[in-house]
Amino acid sequence: MDEPIRAQTTSEAIDPVLARLDPDRDRPTDVMATDALSLSFASTTVLRDVTMRARQGTITALIGPTGSGKSTFLRTLNRMNDKVPGFTHSGDVTLYGESIWGPRQDLLTIRRRVGMLFQRPNPFPMSIRDNVVAGVRAHGIARGEQLDVVAEMRLREVGLWDAVKDRLKESPYRLSGGQQQLLCLARALAVGPEVLLLDEPTSALDPLSTDAVERLLRTMTPALTLIVVTHNLGQARRLSDSTMFFFDGRLVEHEATETLFANPREADTGRYVNGLMG
Amino acid sequence: MASWIPIGGLIVVLVILVIKAWPAIIVNGVGFLKNSDWLPGNTYGAVVHTHGVAHPSGSNYGAWPLIAGTLETSIIAVVIALPLAVGAAFALTERMPAWLARPLGFLVEILAGLPSVVIGLWGVLEVGPFLAHHVYPLVADHVPNVGPLRYLKGPVGYGEGLLTSGLILGLMIVPIIASTTRDLFLQVPALPKEGAEALGLTEAEVARRVTIPWVRSGIIGATVLGLGRALGETMAVAMISGSVLGKVSPTIYGTMTTIAATIVSQLDSAATDGTGFAIATLAEAGLILAVIALGVNLVARTIVSRSGRLAAPVGRG
Repeated sequence: MDEPIRAQTTSEAIDPVLARLDPDRDRPTDVMATDALSLSFASTTVLRDVTMRARQGTITALIGPTGSGKSTFLRTLNRMNDKVPGFTHSGDVTLYGESIWGPRQDLLTIRRRVGMLFQRPNPFPMSIRDNVVAGVRAHGIARGEQLDVVAEMRLREVGLWDAVKDRLKESPYRLSGGQQQLLCLARALAVGPEVLLLDEPTSALDPLSTDAVERLLRTMTPALTLIVVTHNLGQARRLSDSTMFFFDGRLVEHEATETLFANPREADTGRYVNGLMG
Repeated sequence: MASWIPIGGLIVVLVILVIKAWPAIIVNGVGFLKNSDWLPGNTYGAVVHTHGVAHPSGSNYGAWPLIAGTLETSIIAVVIALPLAVGAAFALTERMPAWLARPLGFLVEILAGLPSVVIGLWGVLEVGPFLAHHVYPLVADHVPNVGPLRYLKGPVGYGEGLLTSGLILGLMIVPIIASTTRDLFLQVPALPKEGAEALGLTEAEVARRVTIPWVRSGIIGATVLGLGRALGETMAVAMISGSVLGKVSPTIYGTMTTIAATIVSQLDSAATDGTGFAIATLAEAGLILAVIALGVNLVARTIVSRSGRLAAPVGRG
């Protein structure tokens, strides 16, 4: 703050001032990154040497044929593979520049910061309202009557409030598949994650529900950074800013989505995005 | 059609019990449920008639100590066994590698088949004296003398009695509850458990909030199965209870008996009653035991259907 701040009306003069006041100015713009990450189960290496960066507020799509290693990659990002027998990794995954396996990192906190939505809806065996606040409760983020406020806010956020407000105490298993997935999304959002990992989040949903989930996901950036595994190439194109193409345990190509679909650099990518491969 | 066979069998058994117990029901009256005396009367003396039923003079029966003993031992057994069994099932399914869980699970199932007379022998020769010498005195001396804890005060006896019976019964029903619960845990789909882990819940929270609630009604069913075994267990309790008729034990360590143990230990002497009245009285006690067991099952069914409101549909997830 050595220079005097003069009253100016042009945005060119004000923006640097605001930029200097921004408490996040020293934060890395890469929220999540991997560095030469290789993943193995016992003696089988399922993914080799993946280096990528996911910038703040972007949506990254992970595409590739079944068995290409993209789901394993995704599940590694919030350490879901840690307890799988025989799982080992080399290289690193960083969250805001710090290794997720670092000595100062707490597994439960990593999972609060890096949320996950699964292939099929997986509500817990408790009431709709308790589902939304399950994580909030576990992490001690809110309690008592605050929980009702959190539940309502998150259910409104995913557009489920009007449908369930009269049956908050009822079982979630009577909701439709799409509604259940939205409930799981509300539950994941309720703990305030910085990154949300989505493992084919709409593969079990009908087109209308898929559309609702996709529209919702687009409204979540830039506050959230999303990484989405999808088999639906249309979804990758509609939704993502950048796309990673995995094939045979390698990251073949990571480009801006438009570039990757229009001008793939590698022949395998071209064959896949044009539907000529699995 | 086939589902009526067990119900039909049940009705036949109950009807026969009522017929056999009928003379005792008439003479003993409602007082049978609350009186404590167990006096066979003078089986070589005069036969008297009450309401037209012949019975030895001086005979006077009350089943309250047996009923209380049956309920007390079974409740102790379930309180001990349920957490042990659920914990064991959880360890077997979630914490242990397959090469260890498989043989241990097999062992649990073998334990369920151990003859109760063997367990009773072990209980009366080994466990009871050990507890009475080394454990009960500590408990009795250090428990504060307030409220229901007062029940744990008092002379600890020699190891035969209510608490030892309850503990041994508890051990006997652990395998029953544990092996069922283990099979239930194995049926819980991975997806909701992973969802809870991915949300940052600890392993204990995942168990408490997802895994156990997912199969809650099944665990209640398994517990009732175990409770039924505890209510009806005869041999082990007959050996460990002290077989004291005529009074409810004033402390948790005292000697006592249960309905099932009394039936087996009194059957011989009851046969010497020429009027058949002692046998009829034992049949009446058996009828009460059957009614208690049925009642427990009905209550459990109600609980299961209520808790099923939020439960997960089987086969989904």
